[in-house]
Amino acid sequence: MSGPALWSRAAAVAAALALASCDLPGRPGPEPEVLRPEQVLDFATLYSQNCAGCHGAAGKGGAAVSLADPVYLAYADDATVRRVTANGVAHTLMPAFAQSAGGMLTDKQIDVLVRGIRGWAGAAAPGGIKPPAYTAAAPGDAARGAAAYQTFCARCHGPDGKGGSGGHSIVDGSFLALISDQGLRTAVVTGVPGRDAPDWRSDAPGRPMTEQEVTDVVAWLASQRTQFPGQPYPSLNTTHGGKQ
Amino acid sequence: MRLLKALGEWLDFRLKLGEGIRDAATHPIPKSSASWWYVFGSAALTVFGIQVVTGILLAIVYVPTAAQAWSSLQVLNHDPTLGWFLRAMHGWASNFMVALVLIHMLQVFLFGAYKFPRELTWIIGVFLLLMTLGMAFTGQVLRFDQDAYWGIGIGASITGRVPVIGGALVHLLLGGPIIGGDTLSRFFALHVFIIPGLLIGLVSLHLLMVLKLGINEWPMPGRIVRRETYLKEYEQLTHEGVPFVPDAIWKDLVFGASIVAAIAVCAAVLGPFGPGGQPDPTIIQAAPRPDFFFLWLFSLLSLLPPQMETPVLLLMPPVAILILLLVPVLSGEGEKHWKKRPVAVLTVLVAAVALGSFTHLARSTPWSPAMSAWSGAPVPISELKGRSALERRGALVFQAKQCRNCHALGGAGGMRGPALDEVALRLTSDQLIRQVLQGGGNMPAYGKNLSPAETTALVSYLETLKPEGRPPAHDASQP
Ligand code: HEC
Ligand code: HEC
Ligand code: HEC
Repeated sequence: MSGPALWSRAAAVAAALALASCDLPGRPGPEPEVLRPEQVLDFATLYSQNCAGCHGAAGKGGAAVSLADPVYLAYADDATVRRVTANGVAHTLMPAFAQSAGGMLTDKQIDVLVRGIRGWAGAAAPGGIKPPAYTAAAPGDAARGAAAYQTFCARCHGPDGKGGSGGHSIVDGSFLALISDQGLRTAVVTGVPGRDAPDWRSDAPGRPMTEQEVTDVVAWLASQRTQFPGQPYPSLNTTHGGKQ
Repeated sequence: MRLLKALGEWLDFRLKLGEGIRDAATHPIPKSSASWWYVFGSAALTVFGIQVVTGILLAIVYVPTAAQAWSSLQVLNHDPTLGWFLRAMHGWASNFMVALVLIHMLQVFLFGAYKFPRELTWIIGVFLLLMTLGMAFTGQVLRFDQDAYWGIGIGASITGRVPVIGGALVHLLLGGPIIGGDTLSRFFALHVFIIPGLLIGLVSLHLLMVLKLGINEWPMPGRIVRRETYLKEYEQLTHEGVPFVPDAIWKDLVFGASIVAAIAVCAAVLGPFGPGGQPDPTIIQAAPRPDFFFLWLFSLLSLLPPQMETPVLLLMPPVAILILLLVPVLSGEGEKHWKKRPVAVLTVLVAAVALGSFTHLARSTPWSPAMSAWSGAPVPISELKGRSALERRGALVFQAKQCRNCHALGGAGGMRGPALDEVALRLTSDQLIRQVLQGGGNMPAYGKNLSPAETTALVSYLETLKPEGRPPAHDASQP
């Protein structure tokens, strides 16, 4: 390349810089590059950093409750979602997120999460039928629950809940130790979206479960809890003093 | 015109510089040295020039105090016209300079240019490399964001491992027991006075030697360097040679200008570096990263078994530097051409592959066990398919206990431990339980942090991690 070509190239670069100095792509935006963690108020960021690991990307397909499931959103109200997010669920794997409860999120951030999760709800409630209430009105009855289990659940989970043609065991001691009664109720009402686990309307063909039947089945499941879940380890002979 | 000439003559009569410059410019060099391969050194010098100019401009606005450093960079990013561009130029030029110095060294090494009589030129060059890295490191600290904190923190913890005097050295480096305002003053002094002063001095010496000893000739296989004959042979080459200006210099100029243009484009398109998150030790979610040329160090640190860290960290840098310094002493004579120096070429390849793969690893490894590091990545849907209620809880235990910080699932996760997508093919359930409860290798023991129910759920989930249809691992001692 010759001298003049070089100079004209340099001049072109300089001119381009001078002209475009206002909107070059490299120019930093108005906010600081990196927000302090408590200043992050973007729902997608907050959700993917804190919740997606367990509840799935966009609230679907995770190992914990599908928060984006329209059935779930019709069943749980904002106050519930906020309370659980803030305080977690004791003795389960759902951590508390509010700073007041030892977590990392501010009240404002929790509001953003609650609003964002609510935003996943479509316009209408599912199928027109109102889902059972979030909390049981009265304590359930395990004996009646056993009967309801036979009606609604046995065809999949087997006659005693230890697994059948349509689903695995739901009375395993370790499983029951890691889920709350409320969590069981949620599982019965919403099923497991994306799997062949039906919600409360379609456990038995053509007949939705009544509020009372839901409560009773949960009482029955809860009555299957064992005193020392997970012990001894099925195949390892170590005596082990863990917590609980 | 005539006035200018008169002024020039008046000055030169008194300064006596003209002749030297004219000699330097027109000194003959071997024809083969007017090559595109010989442009990296001058380009590094050009970039250094950019750094001096942009650095001085930055120093006008930058406030080297702990309280204001970070916000003064925010001001630079947003307020003065093109202030951000200045920062971007300085930052990108720094990366380019490190790269150019390394390429230059590599070229000098592979062309055998460090051999007699240019040994000292190489040795000074090694110090120039160290200072360039020193400038890059101290410069990153001046950003005084979370990455800077990380950088000093690691630097200090390495220094602190020096036997006996470690504590005192850390005190000297940080200006106190902790990272604070004094630390910043020290690094500011290093970055704008001490290292640049040394750098300018040594660069001048380096250049002078290049002029006095002549540019290395293009190596030829079979042309052996011997102390007794080399100078004569070289003189012969320069006799048939060409003047440096203009035959060689135009290539330097074109390459230098393209590098400057490339830096400007990077700066304009990709913008300045950070400043990253505010340097506040109370922010524990931080996941800082150092600049790319120190990344390999991080992965080395995280992959080494703990008892090896101290010896490796303390011995590796001095040994590496010593080896570099000894290169011309040990092989001051002999073949210059790379085709006849297989060991040299192999060494370069091994070093490049090692550094490259460590850097690559570090890009995919989280720094710190921060909650959001990897546990945020969802469990792949395919690895939840068909799982029982208990196994699904196990997947939650896996997420909640942050196993993901060290283990990947579906390609997302840390790399300290092996990916677990097919772990059930390798380990039986006994072995899985033992690994989780007792740890081992570089893995912490989780015995005290998992309830029996959690362990059972976790292990029953791990047992499902294998491709469909393949049999699980089998314990050979059992029928
Ligand atoms: C470590 C895994 C984990 C993470 C991370 C997590 N959750 Fe949960 N979450 C659970 C589990 C397990 C349950 C069920 C608890 C139970 O048994 O009742 C749950 C339950 C809930 C419920 C109540 C469901 C119901 O039954 O009504 C809400 C709401 C919820 N999580 C919201 C969140 C939000 C919002 C985040 C992110 C800020 C989050 N979770 C992060 C594991 C997690
Ligand atoms: C059509 C078959 C079917 C019916 C009917 C059914 N389930 Fe399930 N259920 C499933 C499947 C499939 C799963 C997914 C886990 C598995 O494979 O076991 C599941 C999962 C569950 C879980 C675990 C949820 C979790 O979070 O992992 C519970 C609890 C449960 N079912 C309770 C019940 C109860 C109580 C009933 C009766 C009211 C019932 N199921 C009826 C198929 C069914
Ligand atoms: C600090 C990083 C770290 C964490 C956290 C960690 N691991 Fe590990 N893990 C390792 C390393 C390193 C190895 C390899 C050990 C060896 O070489 O013997 C390993 C090995 C394993 C293995 C054996 C894999 C194989 O193919 O041999 C399993 C299984 C395992 N870890 C499970 C877990 C589970 C479950 C958790 C969470 C409760 C967890 N790890 C948390 C670092 C970690």
